[in-house]
Amino acid sequence: MIGKEKLLKKLDSVLAHSTADQTEIVYIGDEFGLTRFANSFIHQNVYENNCRILFRTVLGKRVGVASTNSLIDADLRQTLDNSIEIARSRAENPKFPGLPKAGKYKQLATFDKATARCTPMLRAKTVQKVIAEATKQGFTMAGAYSTSSGEIAIVNSRGVRAYQPVTAASINMVTMSETSSGYASAVSRRISDIDFKALAKIAVDKCKLSRNPQALEPGEYEVILEPAAVAEVIEWLNYTGFGSKSFQQGTSFLASRIGRKITSEKITIYDNALDSKAIAFPFDFEGVPKKKVMLIDKGVAKSVVYDSIAAIKGKTKSTGHALPATESAEGALGLNIVVAPGKTPRAKMISGVKRGILVTRFHYINGLIDTRNSVLTGMTRDGTFLIENGEIKYGIKNLRFTDSMMRAFKSTVAISKESQLIAAWWSSVGCVSVPTIHLGSFKFSGKTDF
Amino acid sequence: MKDKLKECIEWLRGKGVTYADCRYIRKENEAIRVSDSVVDSLSRNIDVGVGMRVLADGCWGFAATAILTPAELMKTANQALQVAKASAVTKHDPVVLAEQEPFVDFYQSPCVRDPFAVPTEEKIGLLIKVTDVLKKAKKIKSAEAAMNFFKTSKLFLSTEGADIEQEIIESGAGYHAVAFDGKEAQTRSYPNSHGGDCATRGWEFVEEMQLLNHAERVREEAVALLQAAPCPDEVTTIIICGPQMALQVHESCGHPIELDRVLGTEISLAGGSFLSLDKLGKLKYGSDIVNINADATIPGGLGSFGYDDEGVKAQRTPIVERGLFVGYLTGRDTAPVIKQRSNGTMRADGWNRIPIIRMTNVNLEPGEWTLGNLIADTERGIFMDLNKSWSIDDKRLNFQFGVECAWEIKNGKLGQMYKNAVYTGITPEFWNSCDAICNRDHWQVWGVANCGKGEPMQTMHVAHGAAPTRFRNVKVGVSK
Repeated sequence: MIGKEKLLKKLDSVLAHSTADQTEIVYIGDEFGLTRFANSFIHQNVYENNCRILFRTVLGKRVGVASTNSLIDADLRQTLDNSIEIARSRAENPKFPGLPKAGKYKQLATFDKATARCTPMLRAKTVQKVIAEATKQGFTMAGAYSTSSGEIAIVNSRGVRAYQPVTAASINMVTMSETSSGYASAVSRRISDIDFKALAKIAVDKCKLSRNPQALEPGEYEVILEPAAVAEVIEWLNYTGFGSKSFQQGTSFLASRIGRKITSEKITIYDNALDSKAIAFPFDFEGVPKKKVMLIDKGVAKSVVYDSIAAIKGKTKSTGHALPATESAEGALGLNIVVAPGKTPRAKMISGVKRGILVTRFHYINGLIDTRNSVLTGMTRDGTFLIENGEIKYGIKNLRFTDSMMRAFKSTVAISKESQLIAAWWSSVGCVSVPTIHLGSFKFSGKTDF
Repeated sequence: MKDKLKECIEWLRGKGVTYADCRYIRKENEAIRVSDSVVDSLSRNIDVGVGMRVLADGCWGFAATAILTPAELMKTANQALQVAKASAVTKHDPVVLAEQEPFVDFYQSPCVRDPFAVPTEEKIGLLIKVTDVLKKAKKIKSAEAAMNFFKTSKLFLSTEGADIEQEIIESGAGYHAVAFDGKEAQTRSYPNSHGGDCATRGWEFVEEMQLLNHAERVREEAVALLQAAPCPDEVTTIIICGPQMALQVHESCGHPIELDRVLGTEISLAGGSFLSLDKLGKLKYGSDIVNINADATIPGGLGSFGYDDEGVKAQRTPIVERGLFVGYLTGRDTAPVIKQRSNGTMRADGWNRIPIIRMTNVNLEPGEWTLGNLIADTERGIFMDLNKSWSIDDKRLNFQFGVECAWEIKNGKLGQMYKNAVYTGITPEFWNSCDAICNRDHWQVWGVANCGKGEPMQTMHVAHGAAPTRFRNVKVGVSK
C-alpha cells in the first residue's frame, strides 16, 4: 500500500509532464495471496505484489493508450510519452467525447485492516480447519482461499482525483467422496464476515447427501437454482446482454426490447456498486461516479450500463461503468449485478416443489449460442438433487441444460428473501448478489456419467 | 538482472531449500481494434517482473514482484520460502520432482518481420480497409477487426544450474461482422471466431492470412444467416471444419490429458478428467484412424517454445495412437506418479503466476481425404463451420458446441445454409465415431489464445493442428 497522499502526489507529478490536450492516469495496485488446496492438502500457495498504471492521452479527437507495471519515474514518463506517440499515429475518432470531468463520490468503507494483514500462515491454518471438517466424514476437500489488499487511483487533467483502498477475502470449497461432491463459497471485504466452519459444513453435507447419485433422464423440470448457480447464469447474461456494446450491436437480448415485458414480474435485476454490504466501489475506471442502473424491473427491460464513449452513441450519460482503457473496446460492463430478493424464506423454497431438481452450481456455462434469445447451455456440478413432494429425495448424476433464460425466467415461481454474494473475476471492485430462484420450467438437454 | 537473480538462488540454496527457480519475464503487447472503420482502441503495454518458486519442507511456495530492486527481490525470495513453510501445515506426502538435466541455452521463435517494427499506420490501414468492406451491406450492424502482438523475453534460473533465455514473438489477427435485422443477430468471422488466429511468428503470419480477400464473403454470409433455416434436430453425420476441430481437440482431448486434472488438483475450478490412471494404455479413446500428439516443437505453433517454465526442453509426445489412449501432459511434480519424466508442459502466463500443466500444440494428425472427396462421399449430413459456443462437463465427457454457420450435405453436395447449429456428444463415443480425416493439404495449426485454467486464473496461448473431420451418428440441433 502506497497511501492516498503519496500515490496521488506521484500521479499528479507525472500528469504535470504531459504535453497532450488531455491526460488520464489510472493506478491499480494489489498485494494478493492465494492458498489452493486439493486432496486435503495445500498444493499451490502464491503471493504477488503488482500494479498497473494506464495512461490515456488525447490530442484533439485522437486517443492513445499505454500501460506499464513499473512505478519508477523514468518508466512512467516513458509510458506517458508512448501513449502520446500512439495518439499521434492514429486517425481521429469523431465519437470521442473527451475525458470526464470531476464528480462527487460516495464515501464507502471498502478496506479492512485485518484482511490486509492476513498472512500465508493464517490462510493455511484456516484451510487446515476447513479440511478437518471433510476429514471427519471420510471425505477430501479442495478449493482456494484468497486475501488481497490494494488501492485504485485515477487522476486526469480535467480535475478527476479519485482514490479508494480495497480489501477482499474469498473462499470456495469442494468436498469430494468417491461418488459425489458438494460446494460452498463466500466473498467479502472482511475476513471476519466469513464463517469458514459453516461453509465447510454446507459443502460436506451436500457431498454426503449426493453420494451414489442416480441417473435422471433429461427433459423439462421445475428447478431450484441456488445462489452459485444463479450467479453463473447472471454473469453470462451480464456479458452478453447488460453491457453497452452488445446492446448497441443488437446482439443483446435487451436490444429493441426496452419497455417490453421479457420475464416474470418477479424478476428485477439491477447494477448497484454503492451497497456497502456487498463489494462496493464508488467510481469507474474513468473516474465517473457509479450510479445504480435498473436493467430489468419487475420483468420489464429497462436499460443497460454505459461508459462515456458508449453514452454519446446512446444519446445518454455515462452510468459509471467504464472498464480500464486497455479493455475499453469491450464497452461498459456491470460489475455489481444484483438480482432483487423475493419474499420466500430460503428454507421453504424446496417445500413448494412437486417434482423438480435442485442445482447447487453450474459448470462451464456458455451464452453465445443465441444471445438475442438469451440461450445458455451448461452442466450441473457439485450437488444436484431430485426433489419430490417438497423433499430432497437423492442425488442425481449431472445434467446439461440448454434453455432461453427469458423463457425460463417467465416461469419464476418464487425468489428467496435471502441473498448471497458470489465472487467474480473482478472481485476487488464488485461481485454478484443473488438469491435462490424457483423456476417452474427449465430445460435439461443432456446427461453425463457421473 | 541475471546476477541479482543468481544472488536470490544462492540465498535460497543457503537456506537449505530442496529446489528453487526464478523467472524474469518482460512482456510487451500491442493491441489494435478497429470498429466500423474507426480505431476503437490502440494500446501498448509493458509488463515486467520476477516470480520465484521454492520447494521447502516438502511443499511449494511462490512469490512474485514487479519491483526489481535487489532488496525487493531478496524480500520476495524470503516470502516464497515463508509461503512454502505455510503450505507445510497440511502436508501429506512431500513433493517429488522428476529428474531433469539443467540446460544452459537460448531459444528464439521464428520471425521474418518483427511486428513491432511494422508502422502502426500500416496495421490500422489494413484493419480499416477490412471493416470498410464488411460494412457495405445495410444489415451489417457492426464490423470489428483486430490485431494483437506480443514480444516476450524470459530468463529462467534454478538451484540445479539451469540458465535459459527465450525470446518469443507472437502475432495474431482476425475480424467479424454482426448482421442484425431488428429481430435477430448473426455473426460471421475470419479466419476464426473469437479473435481470429495467432502464432509464434512475425508480421508475415498476418500477411499470409490475406485478411482483405475474405471480407466480402464474410459479410454476405453474415447477412444470409439472418434468413437461413434453423439447424434441424436429428442424429446425423457431421463434417467439422479445421478451426472447430481445433477446439474439439482442445476441450475433449487437450484438457482431460492434463495429469494435474487427473490427479484432482484442479478439481475445485476447472474440474477433473475421465481419463483416470487406470485408462492409460487401455482405453479405446477413438477409432483406429484417430492419432493425437502434443508437440511443442512445431515451428510457429502458438503452443511452441524452446523450454517450458520448469526448464524442460520442448518435445513431442504421443497421446492417442490408432485410437488407443497412451499419454498425458506432465510436469516435474506429477510425472513421477506415472513413473515418467516430465514431457515439458509446465507453463505460467506471466512472471506473477506459477507454472501449471498446459497444452502445447495438441494435434489431430491428418488423414487421407480431400475435403471435396469427403463431402462427395457423404450422402446426408451437416457441415459445421467456425465455433460460436462451447461447453463441456467437469470431467470432459458431455460436450456441446455451437457453430457460426452450417450447411446441409445432400447427395454428396453442400446444400442450404443453417443457422444456430449445435452438436453434442460424449467424448469417447464421439471420437470412436470418427471415420474420415482430411489430408495434410487441409491441415493447419490453429492458435487458441484464451485457454483459462488455475486459481488465480491463467490465460494460456496454445494451439491445435487439425483438418476437416467426419463423425457419424451425432446429435445436432438442441438450441431451442
